[in-house]
Amino acid sequence: MPNLRLTTLVPLVGLALVAGCERRGGCTGEYCGTLVIATAGEPDILLPPVSEFATTRDVTEPIFLKLADLGPSGNTVGDEDFQPELAERWEWDAPTTLVFHLDPRARWQDGQAVTAADVAFTYDVYTDTLVNSPFRSSLRQVSAVTTRDSLTVVFRFRQRYPEMFYDAVYHMRIMPAHLLREVPRDQWRSASFGRAPVGDGPYRFVAWKAGQSIELAADSTFFLGRPHIRRLIWRFTPDQQVAVTQLLTGDADAVEVLITPDNVQRACADPKLACYPYKGSAYGYLGFNLAAPGDSTKPHPLFADRDLRRALVMATDRERPLHNVFGELARVPPGPMSQLWWVWDPEIRELPYDSAQAARLLTRLGWIDSDGDGIRDKDGHELSFRLLSPSTSAIRHQYARLLQETFRTAGVDVQLDEVDFSVFNERARAGRFDALLNIWNTDPTPSSGFPQTWTKAGFGRSNYERYYNPQVDQLVDRAVTAAANRDQARRAWRSAFETLNQDAPGIFLFATENVAAVNKRFTDVAIRPDSWLALVRTWRVPPDRLTDRDRVER
Amino acid sequence: MVVWVVRRVAASIAIVWAVVTLTFILIHAARGSPFLPESSQSVDPETIARIKNQFGLDRPLWVQYGLYLRNLASGNLGQSFALRRPVADALADAIPHTFVLALAALLIDFAVGLALGVYQAVRERSVGDIVLGNVALFVNSMPTFWLGLALLLVLAQWLHWFPAGGPNDPVLCPRLDSFPCLLDFFWHLTLPALTLGLVGAAGTARFERAAMLEVIRQDYVRTARAKGLRERRVLLVHALRNALLPFITLVGLAFPFLLTGAVLVETVYAWPGMGQLAVKAILQRDYYVVTGAAIVTSSMVVLGNLIADLLYAVADPRIRVRGA
Repeated sequence: MPNLRLTTLVPLVGLALVAGCERRGGCTGEYCGTLVIATAGEPDILLPPVSEFATTRDVTEPIFLKLADLGPSGNTVGDEDFQPELAERWEWDAPTTLVFHLDPRARWQDGQAVTAADVAFTYDVYTDTLVNSPFRSSLRQVSAVTTRDSLTVVFRFRQRYPEMFYDAVYHMRIMPAHLLREVPRDQWRSASFGRAPVGDGPYRFVAWKAGQSIELAADSTFFLGRPHIRRLIWRFTPDQQVAVTQLLTGDADAVEVLITPDNVQRACADPKLACYPYKGSAYGYLGFNLAAPGDSTKPHPLFADRDLRRALVMATDRERPLHNVFGELARVPPGPMSQLWWVWDPEIRELPYDSAQAARLLTRLGWIDSDGDGIRDKDGHELSFRLLSPSTSAIRHQYARLLQETFRTAGVDVQLDEVDFSVFNERARAGRFDALLNIWNTDPTPSSGFPQTWTKAGFGRSNYERYYNPQVDQLVDRAVTAAANRDQARRAWRSAFETLNQDAPGIFLFATENVAAVNKRFTDVAIRPDSWLALVRTWRVPPDRLTDRDRVER
Repeated sequence: MVVWVVRRVAASIAIVWAVVTLTFILIHAARGSPFLPESSQSVDPETIARIKNQFGLDRPLWVQYGLYLRNLASGNLGQSFALRRPVADALADAIPHTFVLALAALLIDFAVGLALGVYQAVRERSVGDIVLGNVALFVNSMPTFWLGLALLLVLAQWLHWFPAGGPNDPVLCPRLDSFPCLLDFFWHLTLPALTLGLVGAAGTARFERAAMLEVIRQDYVRTARAKGLRERRVLLVHALRNALLPFITLVGLAFPFLLTGAVLVETVYAWPGMGQLAVKAILQRDYYVVTGAAIVTSSMVVLGNLIADLLYAVADPRIRVRGA
């Protein structure tokens, strides 16, 4: 009997509390709805020029507009697939001169008009060394941004290349000059504006409770059309698993990525949730350090040998660990690329998985198991290396063990160096590792990320492995700057990937496929893979599916 | 007594200073950089060098330490690298949450622990005593985060009796501006406080059982019974009051437990307190947040013990005499 009382009492008390909090009545019709997004990680600052966090991008996406944005095709070459935002139209005055005409209806949320001066100011901020924007290098081909009149702005480029338009519009969110001009450039990273921003997008900032939530409210006067969902709330959780739990308990309405097959199974089986698969922007790989650990002037004692690297690649069955870790949520990439990239092509030639050929190659190189301990050796040295990976990444934790076992069966000893992320990053940058398990999150095009990670331009930056092949660099340069059209660029990219694959600077393990989950009361849910909330202003809750939470008035 | 208090306060300040110094040195000595975020593809070395210079991190450690102490003396805890805001602001947001959680857990800890301890002592060696003793031992041996996950799974995810985390409902009750929203806050507080409180209560019950057993065998309790007082009065007024004396020590000891336990509980329940803040800061090498958190935490622990000592000295004259 006491149990019965308890089981009845607790939910009743809970319901009473919820009911007490709700303010019944309220919003009805097409423009109601509250979307609660559970997410691991909190923005550092709501100022796009100085933050590269994914959560910052998600939250600022509906606050600040770009001149134009990627279309549904995700095509980054040329300008035909881009959709107008702040710019109502554009034209090319010369091969390297692009003119944007701003939409005269565009307004900052304090009532001021958005002008060409705002665009020029924004470019100045993004490229200012004092501001240290992480996007500065992406704008290096833009030589100047000037105003022609209050609604016309001119971009000049250093040279002509296929993704000029993408560079001009994708990286910069336009900032209000009248509110930010007085902020000293070296203090942008902690500017108070970044904790209560005023934008020009479909949503306006309402509140930021540190460590808890950020709330945005729809701007009913937004010039490109009133957003259907009235309120967006991000709830911050310590990790993605807690975010998924909040989704399953109904405390949140959406999560960006379910990450593990187990989560996908649980969320997609839940009758109140709908799952939305989309291409992931990340790829993971095991990279070989081609230079001696900590001394980039000397070759690595093992991995400077191209044939040894090729043997290790051929000894690795990439499908099996992928299915163990991701199930159906990833694919083996045909090179260092994410599924988001338009150059993804399963026909790109790679080294095959062939353990017999790998074994023969190792033997030919003199690596044989002379003492019968299961590990190959040569000149008294065992074929052994250390694998650096971050202990905080569950995916890499699993992969490290699976690869360790794979290599053991090939007669290669792998010792795991699992360190926290900060140390991982520091050691990777300093080249203090034999091999590492790394993941890159990519832009929608290889043109910006690839040169930084797999060409000489990335030395001292993101080319941790110090891989360099002049032929690859030339092919990449041709694809990025010289290709006349998308097909030419694609061919150059394909050759670059194939040449790199033959050099085997790493084992390209997985390219993620994301699955988002959203409560079924939301309809018209469209997800753009490079930025999952880019189209949130078109999502809606039909009037017959509104809950009290959607109707609540404040 | 005054000398004793002054001496204890001075010792407390010295302890906090030692903790701050050690934390400052250790976090700076730890490998890793605060300026390499996870998606660090585009942070070039020149930028990192410039930011280090901006924050003075390219200076010798002893210079940085001197500057830090100077700023600290004027109440400036520094700027967080990761949060892009003053450390004092970040701590001011987090501290109330940890305090409320710790206080609620303390209440559960002592209320449940005391009740169980008294019940077990009165029914010594009965089936109830043995069962409760073993249950208490089981709960006390349980890792806090595991109990948290179990309660979350059963009470939030399966039964939907409680919310799965956070301090409030961000849609219906974004602010504590009404009575229903106050109730909503307590509803959100229940699971984290229960997790933290139950583990402590199990230990408290064992402690209290032993204290009560010692007291109820004393002559004055026998005298009270011989005078014909009712058993309830004998236990609650004569025995329990004396058995509560060691509890003052327990309050002091409970602070470190609650603060360390809160780190894990706050993570499981997305409770935006000091624990979560400190863990993130350590992982991100956010030096001044870590040091600021150490100052607050050590101060709270030292203060807890100081108050316990003072109360003990007030309650037990022998302590005061020895200390004077």
